[in-house]
Amino acid sequence: MEPSQLNWRIARSIIGHRWISATILLAITLFFAAGLRNVQLQTIFSDLLPSDHPFVQTYKAHPNFGNPLTVTIMVQRKDGDIYNAETLAKVWDLTRDIDLAPAVDHDQVLSIATEKARYAVAVPGGIDVRPLMENHPPRTAAEIADFRERVKKSPNARRFLIADDQSATLINATFIEHNLDYGETFRYLQQLVEKARDAKHEVFMAGQPALTGWVYHYEWEMLGIFGVTAAAMILALILYMRNVTGVVAPVLASVVSAIWGFGFVGWLGVPVEPLVMVVPMLLVARSFSHCVQATERYYEVFAHISDRRKAAEISMAVMMAPGVLGIFTDVAGLMLVAVAPIPAMQRFALFTGFWAMMLVPTSVLLTPLALLWLPRPKNVKSIVGADAEEGTGHRAIKHLLDRIARLTFGRRARATTAVLLVAVALGGWEFSKLTIGNPVEGTPLLHPDSEFNRAVAAINRHFPGVNTLEVVFEAKSEDRLDRVVRHADTIMTMQRFQHIMEDNPNPPAATLSFADYLGEANRLFSGGNPKWAPLDRDDAAVSAAAGALMVGTSPKAFLHVTDFEQRNGTVSLWYKDNRQETVDEALRQARAAVAEVGAEHPDFRIRLAGGTIALQQSMNDTVDQYHYIILGLLNLVILLGCGLAYRSLMAGIILLIPVNLSNLFLLAVMTALGIGLDVNTLLIMAIGIGVGIDYGIYLLSRICEEYQDYGEEGAAILASVTTTGKAIFFTAMINLIGILPWYVMSELKFLSDMGLMLVMVMLINMVLALIALPLCVWWIKPHFVRSKDLLVGEGVDLSQFVFHQPAVADEARDVEGLLADSRRKGVAGAKS
Amino acid sequence: MHIAKFGHGFSRRVFLERTAQGICAAGVLAPLWSTIARSGDITKAYPAELLSIDAHTKGRIKTGDVITAANVDIVKHLLDPVAYRQVKEMGRRFTIVPTTTDATRLFPHEYLEATLRNAGKGRLDADGNVTTSDGKPWIGGNPFPDAKTGLEVFANLVLSWGRHNDSVYAIRDWDISPDGAVSYQYDFVWAEQNTIGLTSGGTPYIEGKEDKLRYQAVYFTAPSDAKGTAYLNTWYNDQRKFPDLIGYIPAFKRVRNFPTNQRFEPLVPGITYFLSDAWGAGDPMLTWGNYKLVGTQPMLGSQSANFTGGRNANWERGLHGGPQNQTFFDDYKELCPECFVVECEPVGYPRSPVSKKRVYIDARNMMFIGYVTFDRRGELWKSFEPAFSQYVDGNTKVMDGKHVAWSWTHVMSHDIQTNRMSRFVQAREIVGGVRSEYNQGPSIYSRYLTEQAVRRFGT
Repeated sequence: MEPSQLNWRIARSIIGHRWISATILLAITLFFAAGLRNVQLQTIFSDLLPSDHPFVQTYKAHPNFGNPLTVTIMVQRKDGDIYNAETLAKVWDLTRDIDLAPAVDHDQVLSIATEKARYAVAVPGGIDVRPLMENHPPRTAAEIADFRERVKKSPNARRFLIADDQSATLINATFIEHNLDYGETFRYLQQLVEKARDAKHEVFMAGQPALTGWVYHYEWEMLGIFGVTAAAMILALILYMRNVTGVVAPVLASVVSAIWGFGFVGWLGVPVEPLVMVVPMLLVARSFSHCVQATERYYEVFAHISDRRKAAEISMAVMMAPGVLGIFTDVAGLMLVAVAPIPAMQRFALFTGFWAMMLVPTSVLLTPLALLWLPRPKNVKSIVGADAEEGTGHRAIKHLLDRIARLTFGRRARATTAVLLVAVALGGWEFSKLTIGNPVEGTPLLHPDSEFNRAVAAINRHFPGVNTLEVVFEAKSEDRLDRVVRHADTIMTMQRFQHIMEDNPNPPAATLSFADYLGEANRLFSGGNPKWAPLDRDDAAVSAAAGALMVGTSPKAFLHVTDFEQRNGTVSLWYKDNRQETVDEALRQARAAVAEVGAEHPDFRIRLAGGTIALQQSMNDTVDQYHYIILGLLNLVILLGCGLAYRSLMAGIILLIPVNLSNLFLLAVMTALGIGLDVNTLLIMAIGIGVGIDYGIYLLSRICEEYQDYGEEGAAILASVTTTGKAIFFTAMINLIGILPWYVMSELKFLSDMGLMLVMVMLINMVLALIALPLCVWWIKPHFVRSKDLLVGEGVDLSQFVFHQPAVADEARDVEGLLADSRRKGVAGAKS
Repeated sequence: MHIAKFGHGFSRRVFLERTAQGICAAGVLAPLWSTIARSGDITKAYPAELLSIDAHTKGRIKTGDVITAANVDIVKHLLDPVAYRQVKEMGRRFTIVPTTTDATRLFPHEYLEATLRNAGKGRLDADGNVTTSDGKPWIGGNPFPDAKTGLEVFANLVLSWGRHNDSVYAIRDWDISPDGAVSYQYDFVWAEQNTIGLTSGGTPYIEGKEDKLRYQAVYFTAPSDAKGTAYLNTWYNDQRKFPDLIGYIPAFKRVRNFPTNQRFEPLVPGITYFLSDAWGAGDPMLTWGNYKLVGTQPMLGSQSANFTGGRNANWERGLHGGPQNQTFFDDYKELCPECFVVECEPVGYPRSPVSKKRVYIDARNMMFIGYVTFDRRGELWKSFEPAFSQYVDGNTKVMDGKHVAWSWTHVMSHDIQTNRMSRFVQAREIVGGVRSEYNQGPSIYSRYLTEQAVRRFGT
């Protein structure tokens, strides 16, 4: 009588109504395929920030502070200063060409060559304000000397546009967000920069739009990596399976699951984050490995019973529970990433979690259906391991696994356990030194020696730089015409805050606020004497200075310090680097200064903070806060899931030990390499546990199964490691093939780092699954291993299905005999 | 049954042929200006399809209809690209009124008389400046009512902006942010006094000022932080010379001298228009160059029925459209039978952010009805769209002396790249008690157009 459990009933139903099943799967695939046209690959940088963090909320409320839409180009003279006709002409030409850039805001192009870079002199009855450059760049010695004199009369140009050593100058251009196509603008600017470089000049480009452009530029290369990865995985499949069916079935299932995954987000209109594209590739690899195991099991059954339909039904039924459990843990790992309040990661969790979930119908259900219709391969015996002529590679793997297995039980288990415990102790000690965050000069998205990060470093060396902390002065009233930044209390508080910050033992490299411009305006319009720079402490005086400053000027000229309506302002604090000590000290000082001047005022409040310093800290705080939460939740979910599947909490504990040790070792290695915990690690931890635990599930299920044959843990471990270990080995390899190219080939450090860490965690997981899990079984000798009624057990008595056809019976008996013989030989050694 | 004498595409073919030849020649059935000179009526110069929107659209749009996103495509070819986009995408609407065929309703009375009186006397000298046939500064009215080239068309705009000898406009301005809220609001005075080309008073020149073209000043009266801020422009008759420009900062009692070619910056924060944009011809015409006639076509222009004095005591107007239903003024447009589309480039401004401007000029009165600028990439940047009217609304009439006044009523200046809108009306009175007035004589000069006046106003 055939089994009547749920998995068997489902399998019988699907195979029995295979045309209906296939039609339904096809219809669903077509539905999701229709959603593919809506798929957007898009990096939304602000969505990489934790949305619940107060710094991020401040940044999002005042996104213009800190110049997120500004590109900064530095022209550096290599053999002297910029005061020569050639360099000044280059700056002039570049400035004019930048004004032609797509989406540039023509009112916000600033360099020493624009009319907005002015010098002012007091003249009888008023002031004379002139541009630093006239209608052409200085050409003669006299014009250059005159230009140099004008620069001396322009403190803002000296401070923010020309380097202290006079060797470099900046061109700033701000772009209109709703018109901005980052790729197009970046390509235009990059060709300008490359054209402007010559033997005497170096030209650097930084700023958020340039960064976005670089990321988009490199994201195109992902298509190439995707192609290489897919080709490598298919090649691995071909080498492993050596038949058309064994290759076509996994590829078909993987393509269908990819269509479902991408189609799902397409229909939802949720953009896919390309920076974590390595994870979808991992899912393709997961799909391959699930399919390969299903395929192997199908041929194993087919070799016994020689009935394709029945073989499909049986293999589907027996693979369903372990397959679903493995996928469940993948889904849990991916979905729990959403606990961290980072919108890009939450979207990513939704996308990859759904995709992983869909591996159940596509891999577990579709693969047997496909195998049913695809031609029968000629090398079935070889696939199921019954071929006497086993390949050299297979023999070597088997031999290695045999050696490993023998370390985990019997007398050698003690030594192995001791070594493992020592390794854990060392790992724990190293782990205790783990730091939060990976500060780099520039962006962690790109490599330190990337053109962008070198540009940031160069600009930081010559100018106040790009590491800012923006302390926001925010209007309380809703009246759009109440220009709070022009109130005396606001300006005086800004000045006091700056004074306190600058008075610290380790002050910022520079500070800037709207108040600084008002002081200079007050001085000039009062006759030019420096004694008139301080403002009177009343609204009339401040308003007068603001009015004078803004005459003939667009508010856009001051968007870096106050918004268009001049209701909210910022005090920008520049720091020379973004090392964690600097960040900590900057925030400590800023908090103390805010406490001293008071955060709440009648017309405004002071909010911490925007700028790269604050945003870096927000990421670190989130990683620090959530990595244990995600880790804990994941352990809990998997413990409950596996406990249910094996009907034993002990099974969950045994499965969780190797994956948690893997994480410990990963973090220890990271610490040893000087890498801190960051947002990548959050993902890797979750995926490492969710995906890595599959190895343990395969092995533990097999141990339970083998225990029924041998009735003894050691023999069961040996039989399991040498058989399922091979599948684990293949699965790990196919995962590595899917991930490793991203580490080697990607110019995006974020992606590359993620690839490296995934490779590390998957390798560590594989090794620990083969060593730590059998050790646990050996030492604990859990009761559930002896259970004959496991949900996830893959065992089945095939005799009840065979020998309907006498002609094939002999062949089937041969195969079974060889399989049993092979296993007995190995286990006999173990018992001895 | 009405039988059309000329086929529907007749005027279109005429316009295309003229544009291809690069010539202006107002009037399709007869020369426009001699027709006006004879009767003051333009009807005989154009076929029916150019005198009525009903005939032009074959009844699909009728006089009195409101143009909205639903029907704007029918009249897309009659609008500048920004106006079309405003209606199609941003909720703007306007009402169609009959085409003005009586030319006397399109000019201040004295200006029309001077144009008729001086017709044929205008010349461009070797430098490109306008003179009389005996080489003297211009003597009033449009120097080229039957202009043949783009430069001549422009000369009609530049030599007299408001078409009165002197004008004081009390202006109320609102600056609308992309989210549809008012982000700035100003009251200011725009005063202008021509020194040559005077149309009344017995002499065409102010004695001793023949080398100048005009004085012009802007005074801000509100809000309080801008009150007293003022600018004074002195224009030269020689259109190659940049005007002198000073600003006055009342709180400091100081004058700020601006570079003469700084004409692409807003006067005060928040507004989208520059000095260069005023009247579609805010700079001396020879500081721009490469004038080209790029088209002749009918247009929808706000040339009549836009004065609201009978409905609003301060001549302000209704609002609609945009995110908060206040981005656009309500206004009225008529089918203008023939407009010259002229483009020119800022050749005298090496740092100009503008690559060219395109101005749509009504052949009937040589006044611009639309104006757009392009950035240096050649992409549309801003539109500066005026509205004009005789100052009659029901029983309410405003006089500019002995005659009903004709003037501009409102302007919408839209930076479509940043989606910021500045819109302003000529109000009866603004904060500070200043009222709009025209042809007041020499007192305007001493009240508004000297450095002393600027200083006095700020105190």
